[in-house]
Amino acid sequence: MINSVFRYGIIFIILILLQVLLLGNINFGGFINPYVYVMFIMLLPVEMPEWIILIISFFTGLVMDFFSGTTGMNTGATVAAGFVRPYILRIISPRDGYEPGASPSMLVYGFRWFLLYSLLVVSVHHFILFFLEVFRFTDFFRTLLRIILSTAFTVSFILLIEYYRRGTISRQK
Amino acid sequence: MRNLLNFLARYNALFLFILLEGIALYIVVTRNEYHNSRVIKGMRGITVLADQRITNTRNYLRLRYINTGLALENAELRNKVSALSSHQSLVFFSVSDTGYHQQYEYTSATLVNNTVSRQKNFFTIDKGKKQGVDAGMGVTGQNGVAGIIVGSSDNFSVAMSLLNLDFRLSSRIKSNGYFGSLTWDGRDYRYAMLNEIPQHVSIVIGDTIESTGYSAVFPEGIMVGVISDFERSGSDFYRIKVALATNFRQLSHVSVIRNLKKEEQEQLEKRFR
Repeated sequence: MINSVFRYGIIFIILILLQVLLLGNINFGGFINPYVYVMFIMLLPVEMPEWIILIISFFTGLVMDFFSGTTGMNTGATVAAGFVRPYILRIISPRDGYEPGASPSMLVYGFRWFLLYSLLVVSVHHFILFFLEVFRFTDFFRTLLRIILSTAFTVSFILLIEYYRRGTISRQK
Repeated sequence: MRNLLNFLARYNALFLFILLEGIALYIVVTRNEYHNSRVIKGMRGITVLADQRITNTRNYLRLRYINTGLALENAELRNKVSALSSHQSLVFFSVSDTGYHQQYEYTSATLVNNTVSRQKNFFTIDKGKKQGVDAGMGVTGQNGVAGIIVGSSDNFSVAMSLLNLDFRLSSRIKSNGYFGSLTWDGRDYRYAMLNEIPQHVSIVIGDTIESTGYSAVFPEGIMVGVISDFERSGSDFYRIKVALATNFRQLSHVSVIRNLKKEEQEQLEKRFR
């Protein structure tokens, strides 16, 4: 228990640092902003109670807002992602169900499952985030294009990180 | 109470979500200049719409008072115009006339009674001797001549409407200045007859008919109506049908005209009759 809290703490710090120091500075022509930190919400254990996930999401978003100088937008988007996460997990649950105590990872459930999972969570997060940022529905499709491109970028970064994680975990075994 | 708690416990995630999302939105809206201004703009759009509706309705209900105010203002302005134009003529001709002063005075009044369907129509206005209205003064509606005061009590006056078989008004065709006598034939409240225009004068349908000022009741140039039809009768004169400028069925706010020099003119004219 203590061990897993410690592990998630490390993941949290790494993801936040990665986001703030590296990915937060990537901004291709105002169109593509990857937000990888949402991966932390994705990796929380499957059977964790919803309200804990929501509170964790809230504070994750708050920390991100604090570091990126935005106010409330990341919080709103991350809370929304945390809210839909259980529903998404239920919809795309594998045939055998989830392993107790495990976090949703590529190693256990395979590449295709993980791709679908991250696509869904990240699109919800980005949808809320980008629309909160522009805060209007004029230029709807322009914003939608930004959402789609950024989602693609974020998902590819998440997959890269997940591949790296799988390598380290399998090496430990 | 227990049901309520059960309900809350069952959907705790949903309520927590709404709460946290609400906090996030609140932060977004209050801490960002841009988002804040957009929300305020949206709200203002809604309230402005409601305000406009309310103001429109309120204005509509107040029209009566507004009308009264405008009529008063009109009378005042006409007084000023009259005063100014007499000044101008003095300057223009530089006649050393010590007795010069404004010739016509206007005051506004409202109709309290009106008929249009009889052969001899009269209307009553809400001003009388106390307000300086007396017999012999002219009455104009918003667009043109309406009648002549024939009698007044302290606070009311009765005017002979233009729609009266006894009414005579000296009027002329504006384009060429030929004048005749305007009477009403007792048929239609929209039309009157202009007589005594000789047949050699060329007239056109649509010509303006205005007052001459000869009768010392109306100033010259007050609109009476336009020619709507004419025929060459057996006599030397046209029979001209004039569409009246004043709609007597809608008449409500009128101006009463007092000629300050009327007595002088009439006394002078009496000596030569």
